[in-house]
Amino acid sequence: MLEVRDLSVTIGRHEIVRIDALDIPAGGRLGLVGESGSGKTMTAMSIVGLLPFGARVTGSIMFEGRELLGRSDVEMSRVRGADIGVVFQDPSRALNPMMRIGKQVSEAVRLHMKLSRAETRERVIGLLHQVQLPQPEELLRRYPHQLSGGQQQRVLIAIAIACDPKLLIADEPTTALDVTVQEEILRLLVHLSEERSMGLLFVSHDLGVVRFVCDHVAVVYGGNLVEVGPTDDVVERSQHRYTSALLAANPGIPASDEIEQYVGRRLTVIRGSVPALGDFPAGCRFRNRCDAATDSCGESPPTTTLDGEHRYRCWNPVGRSVDVGTR
Amino acid sequence: MSALVEVRGMHFRYGKVRDHSTPWTLTDLSLDIRADSTLGIVGESGSGKSTLIRVLSGLLHHQQGSVMFDGRDLNDWLAKSPKDLRRRNQIVFQSPRRSLDPRMNIGRSLSQPVRALEQRKPTKAEMTEWLARVGLGNEILPRFPHQLSGGQLQRVGIARALSVGPDVLYADEPVSALDVSVQAQVLNLLMDVRAQLGLTLVMVSHDLGVVSRLCEEVIVLKNGVVVEAGRTADVLANPHDPYTVSLVAAARTVSLT
Repeated sequence: MLEVRDLSVTIGRHEIVRIDALDIPAGGRLGLVGESGSGKTMTAMSIVGLLPFGARVTGSIMFEGRELLGRSDVEMSRVRGADIGVVFQDPSRALNPMMRIGKQVSEAVRLHMKLSRAETRERVIGLLHQVQLPQPEELLRRYPHQLSGGQQQRVLIAIAIACDPKLLIADEPTTALDVTVQEEILRLLVHLSEERSMGLLFVSHDLGVVRFVCDHVAVVYGGNLVEVGPTDDVVERSQHRYTSALLAANPGIPASDEIEQYVGRRLTVIRGSVPALGDFPAGCRFRNRCDAATDSCGESPPTTTLDGEHRYRCWNPVGRSVDVGTR
Repeated sequence: MSALVEVRGMHFRYGKVRDHSTPWTLTDLSLDIRADSTLGIVGESGSGKSTLIRVLSGLLHHQQGSVMFDGRDLNDWLAKSPKDLRRRNQIVFQSPRRSLDPRMNIGRSLSQPVRALEQRKPTKAEMTEWLARVGLGNEILPRFPHQLSGGQLQRVGIARALSVGPDVLYADEPVSALDVSVQAQVLNLLMDVRAQLGLTLVMVSHDLGVVSRLCEEVIVLKNGVVVEAGRTADVLANPHDPYTVSLVAAARTVSLT
């Protein structure tokens, strides 16, 4: 359904995204994982044409056989909302504080569909019902500040799915929420995706969250796709050194048989920090922080296919032993 | 042995002293913190986690009940020797970028606690030693916050808190603003300095994984009330309160381990 090829996003002198291939099949759920500055949000927003002024995008973004790149703003605004829905990170900032919930949801419906007032109202109530908000009729008259963060995010999801999009882009939709609320929202997204066979592009810094939601995951670092594949496969048999380091650095909740030994056990560290834009090394972007880096890492690593869908770009993958002493 | 911090029936609300209309932010709180222990405070946003450590460290004043620090009432500390109280209780805040003055270079920010509490200017050698303790070099002293990464800034925040030799280090979500790949460095650092300096660590976190690594004991707050308290291992393995049960379950669904 979505095919991204040779995507490059440049701002000023810096190429901040360079992705050779990224696909989402119809109804598929892809997680885009990376740290701040990895280009994950830029990648997602380039699909719907929501990039900052001055950003140059080249390559190809095919959505249901249509090229999205190079379309006019008017055409893109028709795609957004109708074909592709977007949910942003902070629900309290994405809703208009001065507008009642009912109006904000019906605006999304009326913009893309020709419906009578009664039909619109019926559809809005139906949408609020689908995102599992209690008493939708009463909710229509509320203002955003009268809702909890979780409820606000549900309203935003209702707006995003108002016109039955084939793809939903969710950019860190639960980062601002409490852990228990996060779980509810994640379950809702999976439920909606399955029920409507709606594709999901889920942007997150949290591999654990992505594993819960997505069937496939793409790990980005420094604007490059370093590893992509079925989520469980990537988590359990990570090949790229960055993916495995990220997994090892995660504190996680101990399994019940190792709870006692957990306190005070040091975490595995990734040295250094994510470089500033333009300070990434050439070749493999991660090599200045990688414990397994060798001379060959100065060259851009080739794409290796592990089996079928699991691909990675690393000269010294985890599966291959590297003599770290000789570097 | 009595605890270093003893809280009995403490109530706190934001607002004026005689204002009885505002609801309590913290209600009838009782807890002990032993010297050299590690305590995690977890709960949802708005549950009073950050408020609690601000009361315990003397930044906010409770209205009812008692808070004893080292056998002496906190109000007495604040009235007679506030500087001693602050020297012995230091806080590391959530956002390192917002807790350092953007117009002060790192050296000046770093020297503030000693300037304020000991009325003297620390030497460069001292500051070098403080930075070395958190794994930073003294070349960053003349730099400004915007020139450093989030991880470096949080190290500066920790170095600054440790500069006055506190007994208790309060950390308010110390890694939640950091990248995942940097988070582990700062958590390890907290573990190391705690062990080296024999500090009591009280850490607020929404992340049960982080708490289970660093904190021997944990309290769970909900709406300003302690709903569960105990050894972290016991609470994780066998939570009793319905909220704790849902919290542990939700954390496990997104945990990678």
